[in-house]
Amino acid sequence: MEIFLYTALFSPLLGSLFATLFAAKPKLLIAGIVPTLLLGVSFISSSVLLAHILSTGQVVHVEMMTWMEAGDLYIPFGFVVDQISVTMMMVVTLVSTVVHIYAIGYMDHDKSFNRFFAWLSAFVFSMLILVMSDNFAGLFIGWEGVGLCSWGLIGFWYYKESATWAANEAFIMNRIADLGMLVGIFLIYSNTGTLQYTEAFAALPSLDNETLTWMGIFLFIGAMGKSAQFPLHTWLADAMEGPTPVSALIHAATMVTAGVYLVIRANPLYDLIPQVGLFIASLGAFVAIFAASMALVNRDMKKIIAYSTLSQLGYMFAAAGLGAYWVALFHLMAHAFFKALLFLGAGNVMHAMDNELDPFKMGGLKKTMRGTFIMMTVASIALAGIFPLAGFFSKDLILEAAFVNHHYIIYSVLLFTAGLTAFYSFRLIALIFHGEQRYKIFGIHPHEAYKFMLVGMSPLLLLAIIAGSFKMPYYEMVTALLPATEYHVHSVAVYWAMTIGTQLLAASAILFAYKKYARNNIKVPDGSSAVEQTFVYKLLINQYYIPLIYEECLIKPYRTLSRVFWKEIDQKIIDASVDGIANRFYSTGEATRDMQSGNLSTMLKWMVAGLVVLLSLAVVFAFAASHPDDIKLLLSGLGVQ
Amino acid sequence: MLDHILSILIFFPALAGIFGLGVAKDSMRAYGTAVAFIEFALSLFLWFSFDPTVSGMQFMEELPLVPAFGINYILGVDGISLFIVVLAAFFTFIGIASLSDTKNIKNLIITLLFLQMTMVGVFLALDAIVFYLFWELSLVPMLYIIGAWGGPKRIYASVKFFLYTFTGSLVMLVGILFMAYFYYQATGVWSFAILDWYRLILPAEDLLTGDIWHMGNYQMWLFLAFFMGFAIKVPMFPFHTWLPYAHGQAPTIGSVILAAILLKMGTYALIRFLLPLFPDASVMFMFPIAILAIIMIIYTAMVAYAQEDVKQVVAYSSVSHMGVIVLGTFALNVEGISGSIFLMIGHGVVSGALFLLVGVIYDRRDTKMMKDFGGLAHVMPRYATIFGIMMMASVGLPLTINFVGEFLSLLGFYQQSHILTIFAGTAIIVGAIYMLSAYKKMFFGELTNEKNKNLPDLNKRELFALVPLVVVAIWLGIYPKPLLTPISNSVESVVQLMHDKATTDEAKRRIPSIAQEIIITKTSTKEMH
Repeated sequence: MEIFLYTALFSPLLGSLFATLFAAKPKLLIAGIVPTLLLGVSFISSSVLLAHILSTGQVVHVEMMTWMEAGDLYIPFGFVVDQISVTMMMVVTLVSTVVHIYAIGYMDHDKSFNRFFAWLSAFVFSMLILVMSDNFAGLFIGWEGVGLCSWGLIGFWYYKESATWAANEAFIMNRIADLGMLVGIFLIYSNTGTLQYTEAFAALPSLDNETLTWMGIFLFIGAMGKSAQFPLHTWLADAMEGPTPVSALIHAATMVTAGVYLVIRANPLYDLIPQVGLFIASLGAFVAIFAASMALVNRDMKKIIAYSTLSQLGYMFAAAGLGAYWVALFHLMAHAFFKALLFLGAGNVMHAMDNELDPFKMGGLKKTMRGTFIMMTVASIALAGIFPLAGFFSKDLILEAAFVNHHYIIYSVLLFTAGLTAFYSFRLIALIFHGEQRYKIFGIHPHEAYKFMLVGMSPLLLLAIIAGSFKMPYYEMVTALLPATEYHVHSVAVYWAMTIGTQLLAASAILFAYKKYARNNIKVPDGSSAVEQTFVYKLLINQYYIPLIYEECLIKPYRTLSRVFWKEIDQKIIDASVDGIANRFYSTGEATRDMQSGNLSTMLKWMVAGLVVLLSLAVVFAFAASHPDDIKLLLSGLGVQ
Repeated sequence: MLDHILSILIFFPALAGIFGLGVAKDSMRAYGTAVAFIEFALSLFLWFSFDPTVSGMQFMEELPLVPAFGINYILGVDGISLFIVVLAAFFTFIGIASLSDTKNIKNLIITLLFLQMTMVGVFLALDAIVFYLFWELSLVPMLYIIGAWGGPKRIYASVKFFLYTFTGSLVMLVGILFMAYFYYQATGVWSFAILDWYRLILPAEDLLTGDIWHMGNYQMWLFLAFFMGFAIKVPMFPFHTWLPYAHGQAPTIGSVILAAILLKMGTYALIRFLLPLFPDASVMFMFPIAILAIIMIIYTAMVAYAQEDVKQVVAYSSVSHMGVIVLGTFALNVEGISGSIFLMIGHGVVSGALFLLVGVIYDRRDTKMMKDFGGLAHVMPRYATIFGIMMMASVGLPLTINFVGEFLSLLGFYQQSHILTIFAGTAIIVGAIYMLSAYKKMFFGELTNEKNKNLPDLNKRELFALVPLVVVAIWLGIYPKPLLTPISNSVESVVQLMHDKATTDEAKRRIPSIAQEIIITKTSTKEMH
């Protein structure tokens, strides 16, 4: 099985290196096809590993070589394929294969086609390192690696100021969180003496609760950055500057779920500290509703989907925080499928609309873009959690987990958010595909995407529909590693009331959205309508003014302070005093030059003065030597010991 | 040959430099490259002959100079100095090979060869006087390089560099003389041999009160005297202001050698002298120095962010990274010190490469101001790629060389103080801020400046210098073991020596004993399985 592990892990790297060979050259189709094929190989290898784990239940574990060794520290490059990592591997390789196929069409006209595939495959490699490592240091390699690739891909169109700004923002904000992660790693090492998952987790129960709590907090800070949880969330919406396949793969399906993966992976730790778990769940629920509220009014198609991703990540954290790790992982998987599908569909729309992102300027696209219309609608139904699509099963489980654990506030927040989710999803669908063809006045001639792109997307379509049916087999498999708790509402009546209630809520939100936005006389908002004047609307459209606050309270002061440090402190105080001391020596020399003028009478005067000074010193010292105790007393009185 | 390989390594470049006086001007570059290559090959030969399992000194040479005063020509190499010597040879080779055409290239190459002698000498000398001689001699060629080939304010910069570091060194010389005097008092013989000094235990506590902060604590005073010399060289905050001037005015080759090797003399000396000679004082000053190091990390990173000249960004970033090195050194455990030595190598490679990269654009455009650039990625993709890789190595991305050193340094210091390590860890944030924003200003955006529209990408000579650095930066990031094993072996003996020599309880507690720790790990692993 080891050969499959290595194949799954290193084929994307090979693909990336292959594309790198042509990075600076004009578009070469082969630079896209070879990495895609190699990803297919990686997907097949992952499938073999999945089959192996399903049939035998045996974990595949290899230690490739030593990485770092100093003192007591020993870190290998070790990889493990177990029930958790194989799930992630399947999601990552499947979605990225689809996205690669799609991108061959999407990036068709881009002059940096080759470079794109070099970065994209490098990302997949880093992500696989992240999920397959058997220790925290290896996880951190992948963690930073995906951050690097995310930087390169958000800023892929590097001539755009907004894109490079967003890339740097994402990298720096993630680095803030990574410091937390690093401290968590130090904490684990200094308390357990190892960074290997199995050994470190085995040592946890003997540690005191305070240490464990800090470990949990610091690791979660790392998770908050990568998974864009409040207050480190602003980079995700800005990351939409990257090409759409990137948004689908990195900023929806895989990288942003790394934080959830970390919490799931560290479940032996979080099981011991339920108070931190509850905080994670509460923050998750907050982020779910917080992000959903911003999606309600936003007018940028990709940002709406990004906020929806953020909101769904909140769901996953809510589940993981409550100890329902397998539920979180299940939702992570289902979400990856339908969200990637939704993003890729959005990419088709963008291409058709000459990169227009405002859904108010679209409308009526279902006639020209039938395939995309169907796919995005299915993805949105799945996202809204309508039976029998994937989202229904996974999201319902999270709600049940919250309910069964008696966290009714979290439950109600998540339930209400489910309604919001259905509303904003179908607001988008209605605005893009239904109603009048408003784009005509902008002179746009939409066209459907290449057929092979649609065919490439179809596996996601299928999975968005049927992934829910994996629930039980998946539960069987993954609970070999994760706590096996089934979340059943005991009373049948309550269960049905809850399920039907949720469905009704989502369905009515969808209908409301259609009624409001599928009409024919939608106007492109220009700031004049009454709604746009309200405080709530302004708050939401400005993202609660959080980016503004960051700009004013963090970025600008940092810039000013840096300048003050340089101009005022470094140059005017530190360096000036160095020069000042030097100049003092110089000027003293100048001033005392007269002493050595060679004039006999002046020299004699100085000689007498020197004699007097020396004599008086001798007297003082002689006195001091004869009264040592008094001197000591005197000195100690002055504070000198 | 192996018996005298260290002497050969020191004096071969200088002798070749003297012969170089007779070489024709046109063939000087080829001659210099060949000499530097032989020196580099010799240093590799030393590495391969080096036994990584031995923790003590190897290839030792001894020759009496002034026997009456115990001044001897003693050389030796261990895991701590070995790789810095290899790095020095490597960079001199790369530097001379990549030298662009300048005036008086002959003098420049001869100066560089002399500089190499002094650098290698500093790292191999095991006698304090010989060490001091090389230490001071190294100032002269650098002074000449900045003063003769520098920018418009080169005289001010070079005099400042010289006087500042020289002042510090004089204080250190007083320390050296006192140390020898104490040795004489204790043993009745004079000796300047560092290995002799290692065996000398200086009292730290006041015999009556048990207090360590008292005026009669010779360890403290000697520590401060030595520290003064090293701190200016490193340069520690607030003694760092000579560095931006020196870098600002120095020619590319000067900056490369200065950042890659000369600064390491300070941090190397911290480990060679301060820690093993004064273990109690090292613990006394651990936290004050750690705080200075943290100020260095954060403050200079912010100053770097404010810079408008890309070379100054790299210069200040050097100071910031040296802060991490100092912090790792004062972790006083194997992880931290090994990390700091590894980071010396890493920082040498990365900052050297970054100065070379800045030199590339300066050669083409005669300006280093970032506002003159922007969008360079359009016309110079290869340059942008290599710069990008080195930038990522500089911000310490895993699988690049700097991560290993930074990780170990911080991990080491974490055992001493959690809070301070968190502050020091902000290095990964502030580092990313100045580097990414500088990169964005230079390479991203539209190509607006007409003068940049036809810039040629890296030529063969530049690639020849830069590609090996990229390879090293990634190779040692993925597989640091060939360096890390000998380094940590030698560091273990230093830490053990410190532990054994420590006289105060606090120092015994702070400096772990290796022998004990191995037993602890063994039992705990057994319990786990």
